[in-house]
This record gives sequence, C-alpha cells and structure tokens, in this order.
Amino acid sequence: MQINTAAAAKGALLRYGLAIGLVFLALLASMGLQDSIGNPFWFFFSAAVILSTWLGGTGPGWLAVICSTLAVMYYFTPPLHSFAVTPRELPYFVTFVACEIGVTQLISWRRRTEDSLRQARDELEVRVAERTAELKRQLAEQRRTEETLQATRAELARAARITTIGELTASIAHEVNQPLAAVVANADACVAWLARETPDLAEARSAAERATQGATRASEVIARIRSLITKATPEKSRVQINRVIEQTAALAEGQAARNSVTITLELSPDLPIVFGDSIQLQQVILNLVVNGIEAMTSVTDRQRILTLRTEAESKCQIRVSVQDSGVGLKEEVMRRLFEPFFTTRAKGMGMGLSISRSIIEAHGGRLWAESNGSGGAIFQFTLPSEDRPSA
Amino acid sequence: MKEQDPIVFVIDDDRMIRDGLQSLIRSVGLRVETFASAQDFLGAKHPDVPACLVLDVRMPGLSGLDLQLKLRDDGIPIPVIFITGHGDIPMSVRAMKEGAHEFLTKPVRGQDLLDAVQKALASDRVLRQERREADEIRVRFESLTPREKEVLALVVAGLLNKQIADQLGMSELTVKTHRAHVMEKTEAESLAHLVRMSEQLRTATRK
Repeated sequence: MQINTAAAAKGALLRYGLAIGLVFLALLASMGLQDSIGNPFWFFFSAAVILSTWLGGTGPGWLAVICSTLAVMYYFTPPLHSFAVTPRELPYFVTFVACEIGVTQLISWRRRTEDSLRQARDELEVRVAERTAELKRQLAEQRRTEETLQATRAELARAARITTIGELTASIAHEVNQPLAAVVANADACVAWLARETPDLAEARSAAERATQGATRASEVIARIRSLITKATPEKSRVQINRVIEQTAALAEGQAARNSVTITLELSPDLPIVFGDSIQLQQVILNLVVNGIEAMTSVTDRQRILTLRTEAESKCQIRVSVQDSGVGLKEEVMRRLFEPFFTTRAKGMGMGLSISRSIIEAHGGRLWAESNGSGGAIFQFTLPSEDRPSA
Repeated sequence: MKEQDPIVFVIDDDRMIRDGLQSLIRSVGLRVETFASAQDFLGAKHPDVPACLVLDVRMPGLSGLDLQLKLRDDGIPIPVIFITGHGDIPMSVRAMKEGAHEFLTKPVRGQDLLDAVQKALASDRVLRQERREADEIRVRFESLTPREKEVLALVVAGLLNKQIADQLGMSELTVKTHRAHVMEKTEAESLAHLVRMSEQLRTATRK
C-alpha cells in the first residue's frame, strides 16, 4: 500500500510536470514565431492543453489552461509584461480562455469514456477467463463420469459373458477333456511302440504327432474361451461378422451336441465389413445361440435345429439372425424379453438379452425377436457396415 | 494274423481318440477295428472270433448305452468296455447293471485300458467256449425222444428208478433202458456229468 501511494504521487508529479513543460514549450514556440505568424499562441497553447489533458488527465489539463491563460495575459495581450488586459483585448482574450476550457472539458470527457470502456472490457475479459476455466472443469468432470460409466458398462458386459460361459462349462470341460484324452492315448501308444522288443519308430512317431495335434486342439479351445473372459476394454475395429459367427458356433458346438441340437450356418459369402468390438458381438451371438439351444430342450416331436444366418440388407447394413425350432415365445414373454432381470429360466439372471440389446444399439444397430412361422423363435439384429466388401 | 485272432472294436466319434486307442491296442499285438459311430458298427460284418467293444458313452446319434442295449436285445453277447468323459455315477451304474465289463473315465491310462481289454477278451473266450459246449450239449439233448427227455428230467431231479417208474407209469426195466439211452446219446460219463451238462444247458439258455 505504501509503495502504491508513493508510485501514485510520483505519477501525479510527472503528469503535472508534463503540463507545465508543455505550456513552457508552447510559450517558447509562440515567442519564436510571433514575428512571422499572427497570434501563433492560439495553436501552441491549444496543443499544450489538448496534450496535457489527454496524457495527464483532467487535473493537469486544468493546470495547463491556467498556465496558458497567465502566459497569454503576460506576454501576448496588451499591456505586455503585465497580468492586466485592456478592455479592447478583453473579448479576444475571453474567447481564447473559453476555447481552452472547452477543449480541456471535451478531451477529459472523451478520456473518461475511454477509460470506463477499457475498464469494462478488462472486467469482461476476466469474467470470460473465469467462465472458460469453469467450463473446462465441468467438461473434465463429465469426461471422467463418462469414462466411469463406460468402464462399468464394460464390466457388466464381461460379467454377463462369464455367466454365459458358465452355462457352457460342462460342454467346454468336455471339449478340453476330449483332446486331452487323445493326447494321453497317443502318448501311451507311443511309449508302447517304443517299449516293444524291436521298437516300431514309425508307429511311435505317428502316435507322437497325434498327441501333439490333440494338445494343439486343447489349447485352441482354451484360447477361444480366454478371449471371452479376460478383462478387455471395449475396442472397435474392422470385423468380419462371418468369422465371429464361426468362432461362436465352434464354442457352442459341444453344448449343442449335448442337447442333440444341430447348428447350421447359412452365411452370405460377400458380406461388407462391420466396425465394432468383436468380443462384444461374439457375446451377443453366443447369448442368442445359448438361448436358442435352451429353448429346444423340451422339443421331442421334431428336429432341433439352430440356424445362424447372415445377409447384406443394403450396401451399408447387414443382418444376422438366429433361428430355433423350439417352443416359441408367448406374447407376454415377447413383450418383456429385453427387460433387465426378466427371465424364464430357473437359473437365469435375466441380463443377457438386455445387455445384448444395449451392445447392438451402441454399435448403431437394432436387436429384436419374432416368432417364426413353423414354431420357435427368431432373433435378429442389424449392424451398420462399411460400404465395401470384406474380400 | 489268423482268422481266430481276437478283435477289439473301438467306437468313438473323435478321430484323434479313435486313432490313439487303435494304435495303443495294436502296439500289444491285438487286432483292432475302429468305427466312428454305433450305426457304422452295426452295419459292419463281425467275424466269429473272441472280441470286445471299447465304447464312448456319449456319441451323437446312437449313444454307447443305446448300443449296449441293442446288442443285448439282438442276442449278440460281447463284452463292453465303456469310456466316459464325465464319470457320472448314475450313468456308470446303469451301464454296469446292463452288464458292462468295465467303466473307464477319460483320459484313460493306457495300461488300464489294455488290462481291461485283455480281461474282456479272456472272459469272452471263456463265454464263447461255454456257449460252444452248451451248443454241443443242446444238439445231443435234442436227439432224445420225448419219453427219454421226461426220464432225463426226473433223473436229474435226483429221483430213483423206482420212483420214476411209478411217476411215469412204466416198469422199472423200461426206465433203465431209457436211462441207458440217455447216457449214451448225451455222452455222459456219469450221473454227475449228466447233471452238470443239464445245468450248463439251463444257464446258457437263461443267458
């Protein structure tokens, strides 16, 4: 505060000094030029007043007016070298003084207007900066919320995936055990061929090769499952939906066989590429397939067939359908099918279809169910596709 | 290999397991024939030699248990070794009740399977021998006249000639003559032998 006052005093001194200096300069210029131009003081003192007011403010302006008036009285109006004014010169002198006063008033008013304008602008700038910062904060917060939501949604989808896999546990165990049994049988055979009195190397080799094939098959089964249950963040990429369907069908093959269900694939060969998360899409298809198999367990009077079909609806949309020959959907069930926690199964959680629908909608598609003409249900979904063939 | 060599039939829908089991069994010098399904097995011809079945319980189409029942109903007695991926108890109980020879869980230890196969073949050999003997006995017994058969039944039941004569309303001498014919036709060396043969025939018929 101390420093501020000192600085302000120093500023005022400078501004008032400037006014006196300018008037002094005007006096010198007027005296130098008064022999060549008539009454030059008019211009120079006016200039001194204008500059003093503009640069220094109202106070220095007034000081310049007073100093100029005194200088003009003393040096340029008769009687010279005195502060008196003859009656003949009085109107002239008064006009001069009035003009000077008018000029200083006008300039200082302009200056004040300009100052308040500048102040308003400065204030506005500060407010804009504050508001911008606040908006940025809000935006960051919103992004954080969205990220949390996204993560929660992904976690939920994964939980549902694991539940679906859980329903397949028995058949998956069988699918892993089967190649392992082949490994053991072939490895034992290999040892037996080697243990003979004259070892049969050719037989031993082919048995060992079959053991390797079995182990490879087991690891493939495990890899298929692992991709579905690991904690992968949703990632969109170019997806060939037929490939996804083939993988899913392979995964559900065991479950289908256990329930005497035949899975048939009717895949359109020239399907456009889809942009999406292949694991989530696989989850949707797997969910529909498992539901379909489930729906046919009570069917005994006809073949249990699950048909997976793909077709290009247009250049920029594909359609996937999963059709079963099960008991079909009652109207009441059909209406509530996609509600969360709605289930017709004793062990079901009722989240599968609800999550499937939200996955498809997040991909810009649609998922719905219908009864198909010959009993059973058909679940279909569309997906927007890139406008070019997958080949 | 001689035609009389025993055969092991392996039925499994999984090619890799089929090949592995086949190789394993062949490595101990046994003859193996493989089938991908129960239907294929039923459609094939089976030579009349000692044999056993190595059968996967769970197969598409006709299951292992179905095949076991069908073979029994068709009167084809062949020992069955079941292999199952999931050793669930109700299923194994059912299989054993229907006369399964052995019930092994996947993955099967090679030695366990080979032991089971050898035992099954040995038991089939014995059964076949018994059946063959029973068949011979049956032929001999069939050659008896109705009267001789009546006498035989009572002799085997432990009745004395006098009692038989009373019961059938004939003289003791006639009974003796019939009895001598029975002993001759059935090639019985003694009364004990005759009783044993008729017992053998009865159990074979019951089976």
